[in-house]
Amino acid sequence: MINHHPKSELINAFVAGELPTALSVIVASHLELCRCCNDKAKKINQHQADDAFSDADLSLNHNDNSQENTALDNREFANHSLEDNKLTAHHLEVNNEFADMFAAIVADKTTSTPATLDPVEIKVKDNTYVLPKALSNIQRASWFKLGKLSRSNLDSSENEIHSHLIHIEAGGEIPQHTHNGYEVTLILSGDFYDELGEYSQGDFMWLDKQHKHQPKTKNGCLCLTVANDALHFTQGVGKILNPIGSLIY
Amino acid sequence: MQTATVNYPKTSHNDQMSTDNTGALIDFMRAIATQRCQHAFSQVFKHFAPKIKAISIKKYGSEALAMEIVQDTMTNVWRKAHLFNETKGAVSTWIYTIMRNVTFDILRKSKSSQEISISDDLWPLDEYATEEKDTFQDHLQNQEILKRVNELPNKQQQVIKGVYFHELSQEQLAQQLNIPLGTVKSRLRLALEKLKQNMGDQHD
Ligand SMILES: [Zn+2]
Repeated sequence: MINHHPKSELINAFVAGELPTALSVIVASHLELCRCCNDKAKKINQHQADDAFSDADLSLNHNDNSQENTALDNREFANHSLEDNKLTAHHLEVNNEFADMFAAIVADKTTSTPATLDPVEIKVKDNTYVLPKALSNIQRASWFKLGKLSRSNLDSSENEIHSHLIHIEAGGEIPQHTHNGYEVTLILSGDFYDELGEYSQGDFMWLDKQHKHQPKTKNGCLCLTVANDALHFTQGVGKILNPIGSLIY
Repeated sequence: MQTATVNYPKTSHNDQMSTDNTGALIDFMRAIATQRCQHAFSQVFKHFAPKIKAISIKKYGSEALAMEIVQDTMTNVWRKAHLFNETKGAVSTWIYTIMRNVTFDILRKSKSSQEISISDDLWPLDEYATEEKDTFQDHLQNQEILKRVNELPNKQQQVIKGVYFHELSQEQLAQQLNIPLGTVKSRLRLALEKLKQNMGDQHD
């Protein structure tokens, strides 16, 4: 069972298309694993649509003549065949700043059906995983390996926001660290635990800089992570690793 | 060619626009999908293009960007009309979904020299443009319940929210709140009784 979900404000911003790419991808990936957040997102989508298009300020200047106009249009239209390219934007009553745009759009007779993508499978250290659809068109760099850790850089990174796939082999751990910014983790497969609790597939964790943690895994795991800054190791051998903190997350 | 059977809006007073146009919009979408009907498309276009432009200008403050969003959105409406499923949701939700998706891709491409569109992977059209029939009712009821829950004493709120909103088991909740399982159970019972009472009140 999934116990850790994105906050409502985050889902709201995701649906509004306001999050950076890497965060949009990680929220979308959680929604693929979590039915309840998925339902929530769709409801929010519907409410945002209603709000956006019902805004009174945006209403068109409809008047009582429009019924007449439409009837006229209709009659006029009936005299044209659909293939008749002389059917101009003017006849169609789109005779304002949008006229050229309208004409260009309808000149295109083709239809578009998105290709159904096969799920993307990846292999890390002899384990095969199926990636969320949200990652289908995100490019992955080759795996960087350090002991039981493997990391692949994702091109959904933008500026100071970095996104990775992280694989930890059974019994592995990430040295204790804090974050200068935020670190978001989604478990795509397997489980891990830290000082704060246990996490399994689908769990979505948002950690800020006040959190200090040392994730370990019994059975191994594959995670998707987004961080807006390099992590900072706070103890032991991790301290020596500090310069490569940015290599792991 | 059965274009004459297309139903057009009967009235279009401002305040009734959304309800009046719902049925008509679906008919227009059907005509675009099955007959590539330019007239039907012009009606959908006239209804949405100015709104999309206004929404985008309000949000991004750029007319050029707004026109690009209108163009990409309406191009998708024209070329993907056959994918619209009227049994699944409203035309406006479908078009909102397209608008959000094309906007995301346009902004991403301008920011990071990315060429590939990924928005349809994040917000699949066939999923997002759908609604459950009873969604609105659910929504109202949820609002009402949430309001009532927020009126409960803090400790009762905690257990109700933990169990029903965060889907924690009573054991997990006891652990998290660091209280005995028995206390969780009794708080939950009290809270539910109170909720039932309060929800009942409004029907008296
Ligand atoms: Zn969730």
